[in-house]
Amino acid sequence: MGGELLSVALSVLSAVANVALVLLVAPLLQGVQRRITARVQSRQGPPLLQPYYDLLKLLGKEDLESGEAPAVQRFAAYLSLATVLATACLVPLGFPAPLSAVGDAILLLYLLLLSGVCTLLAGAAAGSTYSWVGVSREMMSMMTLEPILAVALGVGALHARSFRLGEVLDGSPWSAAVPLSGLVMLVVMLLGFQAYAGRVPFDAAEAETEIMDGPLSEYSGQKLALFRLAQMCKLVVYAGLFVALFVPWGADLPFPLAFLAFWAKALVLVVAVALIAATHARYRVDQAIRRYSVLLAFSLVAIVLAAFGR
Amino acid sequence: MALTSKLKEAWIGIAAGKVTLPYPLAPHPPAAGFRGRPIFDASKCIGCGGCASNCPAREILIFDPCQELRVIHYLGRRCTSCGRCAEVCPEKAITMSEAFELATNSIADLEQRLTLFMGSCQRCGRCFPAPTPLDALKLTGYRIDDVEAGRWVFRSRPSAPGETTHDVDIEL
Amino acid sequence: MPSRALLSKLADRFGSAIQRADLPASERLFLTVDPGAVRQVCSALFGELGARYVITVGADDRPFSGKYLVAHDFALDKEHLLGSVMALLPPDAPRVDSISGVVPGASWAEREMRDLVGIEPAGHADPRRLVLPDGWPDGVHPLRKDVPWNELPQGYDPGRRYAFQEPPPNCTVVPLGPFHPALDEPAHFRLFVEGERVRGCEYRGFMVHRGIEKLAESVLGYDDIPTLAERICGICGCVHSVAYAQAVESAASLEIPPRAEYIRTVLLELERLHSHLLWLGLACHLIGFDTLFMQAFRIREPVMWMAEKITGNRKTYGLCLVGGVRWDVTSEVRVELRQMLADLEREWRALVDAVSGDRNLKARTRGVGVSSPELVRSMGLVGPVARAAGVDIDCRRDHPYAAYDRVEFDVITAQDGDVWARLVVRLLEGFQSIRIIRQCLEKMEPGPLRLDIRDALPAGRLGVSSVEAPRGESHHFLVTGDENRPRRWRVRAPTYQNLQGIPAMIQDQMLSDMPISLGSIDPCFSCTDRLETVDLQTGAARVYDQAALRAMAREGGHGR
Repeated sequence: MGGELLSVALSVLSAVANVALVLLVAPLLQGVQRRITARVQSRQGPPLLQPYYDLLKLLGKEDLESGEAPAVQRFAAYLSLATVLATACLVPLGFPAPLSAVGDAILLLYLLLLSGVCTLLAGAAAGSTYSWVGVSREMMSMMTLEPILAVALGVGALHARSFRLGEVLDGSPWSAAVPLSGLVMLVVMLLGFQAYAGRVPFDAAEAETEIMDGPLSEYSGQKLALFRLAQMCKLVVYAGLFVALFVPWGADLPFPLAFLAFWAKALVLVVAVALIAATHARYRVDQAIRRYSVLLAFSLVAIVLAAFGR
Repeated sequence: MALTSKLKEAWIGIAAGKVTLPYPLAPHPPAAGFRGRPIFDASKCIGCGGCASNCPAREILIFDPCQELRVIHYLGRRCTSCGRCAEVCPEKAITMSEAFELATNSIADLEQRLTLFMGSCQRCGRCFPAPTPLDALKLTGYRIDDVEAGRWVFRSRPSAPGETTHDVDIEL
Repeated sequence: MPSRALLSKLADRFGSAIQRADLPASERLFLTVDPGAVRQVCSALFGELGARYVITVGADDRPFSGKYLVAHDFALDKEHLLGSVMALLPPDAPRVDSISGVVPGASWAEREMRDLVGIEPAGHADPRRLVLPDGWPDGVHPLRKDVPWNELPQGYDPGRRYAFQEPPPNCTVVPLGPFHPALDEPAHFRLFVEGERVRGCEYRGFMVHRGIEKLAESVLGYDDIPTLAERICGICGCVHSVAYAQAVESAASLEIPPRAEYIRTVLLELERLHSHLLWLGLACHLIGFDTLFMQAFRIREPVMWMAEKITGNRKTYGLCLVGGVRWDVTSEVRVELRQMLADLEREWRALVDAVSGDRNLKARTRGVGVSSPELVRSMGLVGPVARAAGVDIDCRRDHPYAAYDRVEFDVITAQDGDVWARLVVRLLEGFQSIRIIRQCLEKMEPGPLRLDIRDALPAGRLGVSSVEAPRGESHHFLVTGDENRPRRWRVRAPTYQNLQGIPAMIQDQMLSDMPISLGSIDPCFSCTDRLETVDLQTGAARVYDQAALRAMAREGGHGR
């Protein structure tokens, strides 16, 4: 009884620590991205801590409540951050995920989907014409991107013969003798990572212009701060997911080394996202969807291969 | 090929290095010869009024309280730093400084006022011939610009058909 | 002599209708014809004789001749001729036949003439106002000499509304004003959209009309006006101040010193360089490519510094006076200028090299915003827009001014007439500009910078001047006057003509390609702020502001 209580308390504590880590580190990673983008653009760039300042500033700003359903907008903002943080507790970030015993890969997929739906909800609640435009584009993107994610987890689950997170999120696509499906999925996820990160050239749906068009156009003040933070944390979570599925090596090392190894890999991904974003023009939505569809086709090939044990 | 052009474009940026300056956190003086705010030197000014006549923005006012005094008042609000005043000043009493950081809460900070003691011409009191016909419009003689309200007052004739000509005071 | 040749052709056909012909120079012709013959003469001129339409000017000449003046400016580019067909109209009810049936590009100029001077273009298809605000009282025409420049007229009616066009059938329209909290500059486009395709467009602008011409005629002097003229545009200021000075100099038959001509040329070409780079940056920004936007602006910066070194300011050069220039290109400046040009050419070449292979960029610009050569001719489009459609016109070669007759350069044309072609034309023109500046630096001889003008400028003389701005031909029409100021000064910026070509350019295009099409004519003022779409099928009206337009430009696809 005492042991159970202790383990529950430990889980809760580690979940809290996990959430705190993600919340604290995500803006710093965005700061690194902004510096890199600035370097490619021959300029100085903001200080590394600028995203923190931006969030603090937004928290202090007046909330204009300019959308049609401000209560739903607020709910969408909270839900967005909550789902991302919940997902963070399921993904190993340099140490075993605190809640991985609680859920399985299906729960993970569901939570990832839910965070996408939050964006749709946000746009619909805002109700302005261009937020609807953003919502429709986001929907189109999700229809092709989410299945790819599902296939990635599915391939892992097929190889690991289980949906348990501890086993799936441990390089499971490589478990086959000849990991063809793992290879295909690695390439697919690498090419698609930019879309999951929601950055140029694949950010047609969300950050459409400098003044935040799309689903977030009627957001201001604290609600906007929450969404922005959620977006930053999403990058961390997706990076964690990618690393756990495809490049998990080093996770078995003793504590500080595994932690550092993970964050080093995540940093590489983050920098790659920034570089690609800095050197490309935005694709039109139809061009982007075409590319996602190609990736989806390949991922379906991968799942078939995985079903046959390859 | 798309990838090579992207790499070239990225290389253009990286090879150039950082070009942004830390201004305004560090000062950045403009190039020599930059036309900033004009500075009026009362010790050199002879009160000819050429600056006022040639200012396209009509920002220099002249008011003669009496025969011996002339007030030259530079308003500085609409001044575009064109430098015409400095160019036409026969005594080089106006220099274009390089000051451009002129934001202020009080517009009076931008004003410059010269109060000059004028010598009298023996014939009419005060007159200056226009040096060229292009200056024909330029005002001579006594000036009555409205310094309090900051307005140029000059006399002009309307040219509507059928009207007899008479002087009209137009305030700018 | 081209003006004489044209005069004899027209005299053969319309002999009795021609009241007077002024040939102040071999490349200038001012014809005064009977008011009733204006339409026929213009029809012959713009039709069979193939003249290019430039602008229509209305002027209140009553204090001087007792009549109103209407002038249709034209250009015969191959014969290097600029001129005007004019008529004097009776003062009680000034009317003249509209030529917009013959020359569609005259549409706006005639409406402006009606608004500002009160000369009615009889037979013009569009009876609505162009320039004056809705509430302005009827019968008060600001450019008339009896209307003071600084008074609001009585009878301003704030409740009066503009009559927008009827959309095609099966549509209800909800009218929305051009002012919106999200806009930074007022303008109004109304698109008629069928599904995702644009079927028509209506533009309403002139919300930042500043009354510059009235000011010049009322309160400024000849040498004050260049300061005003260079502020007409936020980028091509030098062009307007040079064009104005040249118009006065042409009217008063003043020949400025050769060094002044070279200096004007150098600064005009510097302006072209920085303007084209700015456009490149903006176009890339419109399609979401911010890195190239930053790089274009980085490369452009040394040009601005050079301008600051020569003239004391990055943009408002304060260069021209009637009779010459104010700033000199000293020997230290020459050395720096040469160095800057060498660096710029290298960077520009690298940029062109990188951009020409960029499929990403081409995908967003090929086949978009196409203008055919026929559209160019009928609407009088000018500049890179015309040259990209294969129409070979360039004022620097066709109507040489400043020192352009003494330097060699190529006029760049392309064939497709789309945004990509305009991009290529602008990029390649940069190299020509660098070539021109180098030649000017070689050929400049020491000498005076301006004329010493001792005599009064004669009044009542006509001068026209066409200068090739980065955006196209900037044309000034001027009548000299008394009291040290012009009687009439008409400025026609190139965007004035190019905007009239927009409805045809965006016809049957995807809605999301609209902003880059508009951006490709390099509009001098940001008139793409406001876009209202009316979906012909559902009848729903939707308003997009600048941010949303940019959004659509970047992700393109299906406007909903």
